[in-house]
Amino acid sequence: MRPIILNGHERALTQIKFNRDGDLLFSTAKDHVVCAWFSANGERLGTYHGHQGALWTVDIDPTSTILATGAADNTIRLWEVRTGRLLKTWDFPTAVKRVEFNEDGNLLLAVTEQRMGYLGTVVAFNINSDVDGPQEDEPIFKITFDESKATVAAWSYLTKFIVTAHEDGSVATWDAKDGSFIQRVQAHEQDMLITDMQMAADRTYFITACRDKTAKVIDVNTLQVLKTYVTDTPLNTAAITPLKEFVVLGGGQAASEVTTTSQRQGKFEARFYHKIFEEEIGRVKGHFGPLNTIAVHPAGTGYASGGEDGYVRIHFFDKAYFDFKYEVERFQPQEVQTTA
Amino acid sequence: MADQKHNWADDDEFDDPSALPPQQITSNPDGTKTIVTWRLNEDNKKVKTTRKIRTTIKKEYVDPRVAERREWAKFGNEKGHPAGPDLTTTSVGENIIFKPSTNWKATQKEESAEDQALREKLLQKKVACRICKGDHFTARCPFKDTLQPLDEAGAAAEADTGAGGAVDDSVDANGRYIAPHMRKGAGARAGDSMGGGKQERDDLATLRVTNVSEMAEEADLRAMFERYGRVTRVFLAKDRDTGRAKGFAFVSYQDRADAAKACEKMDGHGYGHLILRVEFAKRSQ
Repeated sequence: MRPIILNGHERALTQIKFNRDGDLLFSTAKDHVVCAWFSANGERLGTYHGHQGALWTVDIDPTSTILATGAADNTIRLWEVRTGRLLKTWDFPTAVKRVEFNEDGNLLLAVTEQRMGYLGTVVAFNINSDVDGPQEDEPIFKITFDESKATVAAWSYLTKFIVTAHEDGSVATWDAKDGSFIQRVQAHEQDMLITDMQMAADRTYFITACRDKTAKVIDVNTLQVLKTYVTDTPLNTAAITPLKEFVVLGGGQAASEVTTTSQRQGKFEARFYHKIFEEEIGRVKGHFGPLNTIAVHPAGTGYASGGEDGYVRIHFFDKAYFDFKYEVERFQPQEVQTTA
Repeated sequence: MADQKHNWADDDEFDDPSALPPQQITSNPDGTKTIVTWRLNEDNKKVKTTRKIRTTIKKEYVDPRVAERREWAKFGNEKGHPAGPDLTTTSVGENIIFKPSTNWKATQKEESAEDQALREKLLQKKVACRICKGDHFTARCPFKDTLQPLDEAGAAAEADTGAGGAVDDSVDANGRYIAPHMRKGAGARAGDSMGGGKQERDDLATLRVTNVSEMAEEADLRAMFERYGRVTRVFLAKDRDTGRAKGFAFVSYQDRADAAKACEKMDGHGYGHLILRVEFAKRSQ
């Protein structure tokens, strides 16, 4: 496969996201611009201007009409996807690290940073899907973390829970109606920051990437760890592939230590693991720095990765990827013939 | 450009001998099209361009919403830019071979085993100081400031006595570095890596086969020519567009004697509906 290399950002990528149809790709980086791309040929549709600080996060609603971004300038902004017009700005006392729409696109959650005497929070907003209509100023509810701040959060299936992943390696669920606490599990090693969390297509389980060099698949209802993928490098991102039963993990050395090692030792590769057998099945090289973010095409035909090097690489898989099967997967159970 | 400014009324195209012939499109029987176009280059000379094109129609079904989004006008930094990827932001990377496999770790280990071997080899090598032959780097030598490097001192001594025959010719009598091509006896060595030793060997045992049928396959040729000795290479020239043989091939043998035998036997041999002509390949100049 020949990757399409997108060079629209001047600084390290922070998050990339496909829309639901997979034809658009949105990328945010530490420069102050959001880019929208056509995933098929890497053509840039446009850029969204207005943020005053590094962008940390982006999400697109299911109909590809509204885009939400969160940045270090302490704002969440809503944009009209088609024209790049700014629709709404919410101000916060601290930086916004993660935004996500729910399945219906009528709710938005945001994770805010703990800093300058303010505690970390998760807030939820109602979203008006009409681009010309007004948006509410106040959140529906606010979850405040006294102990360990949340780094990432996501909506579960049917907007039933909000799942948060924390600085101390734990994950927790909260009621998505009012933000009341449900349960908390120490999924990763103590005091290891969880860097990324992505839901499976049906949102009944999710994958977490952690600094403790593992990624875990966790059930939403019970927060039970279902699968663990062990690597040899701190992970920044993890994604679950539809179509094939794989997961993609990305990471590499911390950005501050990159210049001290060669590209090969830096482990700047996307790693593919089999989701069920927890075995590594291959790697894809290409970036010059650690991978900060990975997004998988919703149809499972490709994936994109964004790195500390400022590049986004879109890959569409070859036939070998789709043909790959374990021996046991090839095996078709035959009907047992019973003799009368 | 100049032609466009002409008024059509004083257009003397029909009398002008330098006028360019119109574009010619001919359909070939193999489904390709040949397009012949003419243009004037910077020196005002006519240039004929012949292009052979195969058109294939690829149908793709797209979601209507996706198709609608493709028509969206660009905005932001891309405002006003034409459709299609911009080369300043979008490029295509090198081909990556990604083949998932269960024994991925094992294949990777082999590679690292080679690395291990190299590392072990290097482990055996001891660091030797050039000044005192101790097991440290020269730069760290305690006698660095007081003593001259051993072999250099020797060379200097030899130069003094006029014995010649430098021990280490990378350094001159004054301890200055000499580039490889300036050293003694470099004349004979200069540029010797450029020689085509391999090329010559290849050509000696290579046969040129002509009058090969269009339907020929490399495997068939190999089978025929392998009777006379070990064949190292078979090259059958094929048309890029149609994939059919162009009518000639090259067959390389490991041994020239085998090649000579094959040349004698196969010249005039029937293959397909044609009679092969086999001769020794001449060096292309």
